[in-house]
Amino acid sequence: MIGERTLTLLGARAIAVTREVGGIALMTGQVLRALLPPRLDGRELVRNLHRMGNRSLPIVALTAFFAGGLMVVQSAPFVKRLGATSLAGWAAGYAVLREIGPILIGLMFSGRVGANNTAELGTMTVTEQLDGLRALAIDPIRYLIVPRVLAMLIMLTALTIIGDLVALVGAAVVAYLVLDIDWRTMYFSFADNLTPHDFFHGVYKSVAFGAAIALTSCYFGVTVKGGAVGVGRAVNAAVVAAAVSIMLLDFFITYATA
Amino acid sequence: MTARAFVEFIGVEKAFAGKPVLRGMDLAIGKGEILYIIGTSGVGKSVTIKHLVGFLPIDRGEIWFDGQRVDQLDERGFYPVRRRVGMVFQNATLFDAMTLTENVALPLRKHQGLGWKAALADARRRLAQVYLADFADRYPAELSDGMRKRAAIARTLTLAPEVVLFDEPTTGLDPVNARRIDRLIRELSRTLGVTAVVVSHDLPSIMSVADRVAFLYQGRVHALATPAALAASADPIVQQFIAGRSSGPMETPGF
Repeated sequence: MIGERTLTLLGARAIAVTREVGGIALMTGQVLRALLPPRLDGRELVRNLHRMGNRSLPIVALTAFFAGGLMVVQSAPFVKRLGATSLAGWAAGYAVLREIGPILIGLMFSGRVGANNTAELGTMTVTEQLDGLRALAIDPIRYLIVPRVLAMLIMLTALTIIGDLVALVGAAVVAYLVLDIDWRTMYFSFADNLTPHDFFHGVYKSVAFGAAIALTSCYFGVTVKGGAVGVGRAVNAAVVAAAVSIMLLDFFITYATA
Repeated sequence: MTARAFVEFIGVEKAFAGKPVLRGMDLAIGKGEILYIIGTSGVGKSVTIKHLVGFLPIDRGEIWFDGQRVDQLDERGFYPVRRRVGMVFQNATLFDAMTLTENVALPLRKHQGLGWKAALADARRRLAQVYLADFADRYPAELSDGMRKRAAIARTLTLAPEVVLFDEPTTGLDPVNARRIDRLIRELSRTLGVTAVVVSHDLPSIMSVADRVAFLYQGRVHALATPAALAASADPIVQQFIAGRSSGPMETPGF
């Protein structure tokens, strides 16, 4: 039987989660309101696009290359056994475009960019830099948060598209090296079996994942309390929340479009 | 109808977690005046100035600025007030990721409609006015506390505020840098007619710069006088604070 203490703890945790979800929803509303009319700080947007996107490209490309290769390695025993070389590209491409690409790149992006964003905003919060902005009659949502949210949305989508292409190259390279499947066979396996819908299915997901990472990382950053320890806790909470959001969104988007 | 002071606090009350800090504080500040707010730690000095710019909501009472009641404004409503009432924080709150020039250029770009290059040029000129021309391209982390505070003052002045709130501007500074900050505050008031409200514990600053001093005690203004009159006060509580005696009639929570 569940004791009173356990129920109390469960209730407190449920209230805390509800408060956080409510806070993120409120921030989403503030971001949308700040976009009407869209008076963006172009310099801040470009700065964030560069540091969030360009600097993430090498690690995303490396991860995507091996993710594509991994799909081929996993399917290699079946391809060999059944002699279905013409389907090796389809199997790897389907998994990469629809699931592995968006999820892996989303998690990578969350760990690198989202965590960094929470730590930076958290440090600005505890050192009163956000109040410094407010004291200068500059809205932190409009100046700091909106450019970051847009930069993350744009760059995660772009990185996912690039990552998808690199993953297909990775799959072709590994197929050639491990299964001795020539480039031409892999190309036609991709071209004949994969549809634009497979590609866009992953792109939709990356937009949703980008929004989730951006909003959670910004929310936990600006609500930090308790100095350096609080910043550490916020980064942890933001990464966990983003990972959970990615998995939930992935399930529901896949379910809704199945 | 009686004319209101430029800045006025009427019966302001504020409590944190049920613990009262301000208990019906009344304070009127004249235009162009340099008013110092003094008192023991935790008495509500910083809380008072944060109320004026809407960083903390009051529990009860009224706050007026230039004939406008401001305590009921929401965050957006406070932005026009903050363009007229600048604040220099105790920790300067310069943006880490920007050089001093970029820090000062930001409000110029946002509020004066300057392009980036023009804002940077104007920012350099303003930094030179606070003797930081040689450090304009440095980041805040590379500078001393005194330099950061001077840069923060330059940044606040870009808004051409009518009131500047200083939260412990000389705390943590050596005497030379502290007197430089004092001189800046005095020049602001005398040359630009800016009203300065300064939270401080620094007695040399208070005695040499203030027009009047408000001594907060138990959540209210216990004494309001010129520095000389305050120093000469026969009030035993004021005397204990001015003399810095640990024993006396003053009740200090936590001791």
